[in-house]
Amino acid sequence: MTHHHKGKTITQDGQLLLRKAETDQIETVWDRHQAQLPQCGYCELGVSCRVCNMGPCRVDPFGEGPQKGVCGADADIIVARNLGRMIAAGAAAHSDHGRDLVEVLAAVAEGRAPGYAIADPAKLDRVAAEYGIALEGKTAVQVAGELAHAMQEDYGTRKKELTLAGRAPAKRRELWRRLGIMPRGIDRETSEMMHRTHMGVDNGWQSVLLHGLRNALSDGWGGSMIATEVSDILFGTPRPCPTQANVGVLKKDQVNIIVHGHNPVVSETILQACQDPELLALARERGAAGINLAGLCCTGNELLMRHGVPMAGNHLMTELVIATGAVEMMIVDYQCIMPSLGTVAACYHTRMISTSDKARFPGMEHHEFHPPNALEKARQIVRLAVENFASRGESYIPVEPVPAVGGFSVEAVVGALGGSPGPLIEAIKAGRIRGAAGVVGCNNPKIQHDQGHVALVRELIANDVLVVDTGCAAVATAKAGLKTIEALALAGPGLQEVCGALGIPPVLHFGSCVDNVRILVLAAALADALGVDISDLPIAGAAPEWYSEKAVSIGAYFVASGVYTVLGPMPPIAGSANVVKLLTEGLTGAVGAAFAVEPDPNQAAVLMRRHIEAKRRALGLEAIRV
Amino acid sequence: MKKVIVHPERCVGCMQCMLACAAAHSRSGTLLGALGEAPLPRSRIHVGVGAFDEGFPNRCRHCDPAPCMLACLPGAIYRDASSGTVLVDADRCINCASCAMACPYGVIRYHAVWDGPPEKIVAVKCDNCLARQAQGLVPACVEICKSGALTFEAPDRAARRRTDEVARSVSSGAICPPPAPGFALLAAHKRARAEVPAG
Repeated sequence: MTHHHKGKTITQDGQLLLRKAETDQIETVWDRHQAQLPQCGYCELGVSCRVCNMGPCRVDPFGEGPQKGVCGADADIIVARNLGRMIAAGAAAHSDHGRDLVEVLAAVAEGRAPGYAIADPAKLDRVAAEYGIALEGKTAVQVAGELAHAMQEDYGTRKKELTLAGRAPAKRRELWRRLGIMPRGIDRETSEMMHRTHMGVDNGWQSVLLHGLRNALSDGWGGSMIATEVSDILFGTPRPCPTQANVGVLKKDQVNIIVHGHNPVVSETILQACQDPELLALARERGAAGINLAGLCCTGNELLMRHGVPMAGNHLMTELVIATGAVEMMIVDYQCIMPSLGTVAACYHTRMISTSDKARFPGMEHHEFHPPNALEKARQIVRLAVENFASRGESYIPVEPVPAVGGFSVEAVVGALGGSPGPLIEAIKAGRIRGAAGVVGCNNPKIQHDQGHVALVRELIANDVLVVDTGCAAVATAKAGLKTIEALALAGPGLQEVCGALGIPPVLHFGSCVDNVRILVLAAALADALGVDISDLPIAGAAPEWYSEKAVSIGAYFVASGVYTVLGPMPPIAGSANVVKLLTEGLTGAVGAAFAVEPDPNQAAVLMRRHIEAKRRALGLEAIRV
Repeated sequence: MKKVIVHPERCVGCMQCMLACAAAHSRSGTLLGALGEAPLPRSRIHVGVGAFDEGFPNRCRHCDPAPCMLACLPGAIYRDASSGTVLVDADRCINCASCAMACPYGVIRYHAVWDGPPEKIVAVKCDNCLARQAQGLVPACVEICKSGALTFEAPDRAARRRTDEVARSVSSGAICPPPAPGFALLAAHKRARAEVPAG
C-alpha cells in the first residue's frame, strides 16, 4: 500500500504515484538516494577538495589523519573554496538564464524573433529609464534594443556597480561599498570566484566568503533580476490569476503536454502553439477534447504567474508525473531536470523533448529552439504530441487538482494595496501582520517531500506572518491549498483581517526561483518607505528543502542583502568551525543578517518569528516573546 | 600481533575502504586497472548505513571459533595458523551459502574471483590482505582510511588507548570537547533531521 511511501512525501498524489511507480518498477529519486547512503562524510563536511591534480585531498575531521591538502590548504580554506564554487555555479545558472532572455530581447529588437514581442511596454520604459536610456521619440523596439545592449554591459567588466543594484536602499549600497562586495559585473564575479579558488590564489577563507557574497549579489541584483525583468517585458508582468496544482491538472480526455525547466523562452512559445486552432482541430480529429498544457518546476511557475497555466508538481514529482502514463510529451529547457527522466519515460508512451543547445539528456529527442525558429519549432513538436495521443495506454490520474491563486508580482502587490506599500507598512506597524517571510527553494529527498515548506508556512501564517514564496516551495503550498482565500481560515486573526480586506490569500505566489528578486525589490521598497535598511525590517527567509547550487547563491544574496535566512538541510560547511561561526553569527556584524540551519520546520518557524519580533522591538514597534 | 581494528564512531561513510579493498583484490592491484578486469573485483569490506544515515564499516572479524568454518561441510574454510586469518579455499568451495547463514555479521559474498577457478562462483571474504602484509604493507582498507575508523595495530594497544580516552572523560573537572566538533555537529543535524515529526 502507500504506507511505506508516507515517509517520503506528504502529498497524496505523490504517495499514490510512488505506489504506481513501484508496481511499474520505476526507479525514483528516493530509491537512488537510499542507494547512496551513507553519503561521504568528507563531502558532507565540505573538507574534500578536487580543485587540483596534486589531489584529490581530504581533511580528517578527527584530527589525527591529514589536516591539510597537498597544497597546504586547511579545512577552513577547503570549505570556503568549495562553498565559493557552489555560489559561483548557482549564480552562473541564474545569470546565464538571464542572458538568454536578454538575447531574445535583442533579437526582438532586430526583428529576428517572430514568436516574441514586447508584452509590457510600460515596464520596458520603466526599466530602460533605470538604465539611463532616453525614451523620447523611440519605438518600443528601439528601446528594447538599447536596453538589451545596456544589460549586456552589466554582464561584462565595464561597470563599477551593477545598474539594478541601484534598487537597493542607499544604506545597503553604502555597506556593500564599505565591505568591498558591491557587485561590478555579473560574469565578472563568477569568473573571479573561479580564479580566487584556483590553487594558490585566495587562501583567506574570510575573503573567499566575502567574495562569495559579492558573487551572489551579482546574481540577485544582477542576473536573476535581469531574468525576471526581461521576462516581464517580453511575456507580461504577472497579475493575480486563478490556477490549479498537483497531478490532477492532467486531463484524461486531452493531449497532456508538460513543460519542465526554468526559462520561459521555450515554454511561452509552446503555450502559443497549444492555442493554435489548426493544432486544436488536429487534436479533436485524433479523439482528444483539447490540448492541456501544464507545468513542472520553474518554467511551470513562469507560465502559472503570467497565464494561470496549471502546475503538475515540483522537483520530486517530476518522475512521478510521467508515471501517470497520461503525459503525451514533456518538453524541457534547463536546470533541475533529472537525467533519469528519459529512462522513466521509456516505460510509457511519453515523448521527451530537449530544447536547449546547452542541455542534453539521455533518452530525449533534441529539437533545438532559437529565437528565429522558436514558434515554428513549438508548432512542430506540439503536433508530435497530438499525434502521440493515440499511443496512450492505461493512465492513472489519482487526485483532483487543488485551486490556487498565482501571479503576485511586486507591481500586482502594490496595486492590490492601492498603489503604495503604505497599507502593508501600517498593518505591520499596528501588529496585525507581525512581519513577512520569504519561503523559497527546492525539494530534497533528505526532507519529507513538501513537509518542510508546508509545515513552516502553516506555522508562519497561523502567527500572523505574511508569506511570499517562489519555486518548488510555492508549488508545495499551492498543492497544500494555502494559496486560496479559504486558507485565510488557517491564518492568525490579524493576517486574516488584512488579507481578507485586500482579497488575497495569506501565501502569495511570487514566481519562479529567479523571481526571488521580486522579494528583494519588495523588501527594498518597504525599507525605503520606512527610511531604514533591509536588515532593519521584520522579515526573514527560509529554504526548508533546498538542494541546488542556485539555492546557495539565493541564500547568500538574501543574507548579503540583510535578510536572516534559515536553511533546512545543512550545507557542506560543518568541517570548518570558523566558517560555521562566520556564516551563522559573524555575518550579522558585517551585513546585519546571518544563516541558521534547522531541519525541523516547526523549530524553523520559531527562529524566524523570534527574529521578526526582535526586529519589531528594534524599530520601536510592539513585540511579543516567541 | 597486529589486527585490523574498527572504530565505528570515526567512520565518515566515505566508502574509500571499499574501493581500496576491491582494487587490492584485483589482478592488477590498482583501481584504474581493476575497472577493466573480468571478473570485476568486489570489496570484502561493506559500509552499511545506520539509523541516522551514518556509516559503519562491516568486515570479517575472523572469529575463533568461526561459525562459518564450523558450517562449511566441504572444509573449504580454514584458518591460517600464523595470522589467525579465516580463509576460503576457492577450489573446495561448493557455493552452498552455509557459511553466510552461519556468519553473524553478514560479511560473506558469492562471486567469481580472478585467482580462483575461472567463472566459478565461490564464497569471498576478507583475507586480512595477507598478500600485502607479506610485502610489508598494511591492509588496503586501513591504508586508505584517513579518519582513523580502521587501524592496524596490536589489540592490547588499541584497548589501552580506549581505556585512556575513557579515563580522561571521567576525570573530575576536565572538559572533553568532542574529538571532531564539525563531525559531531553534522551527526547532530542528521539525527535532528531523522527525528522531525512526519507530516
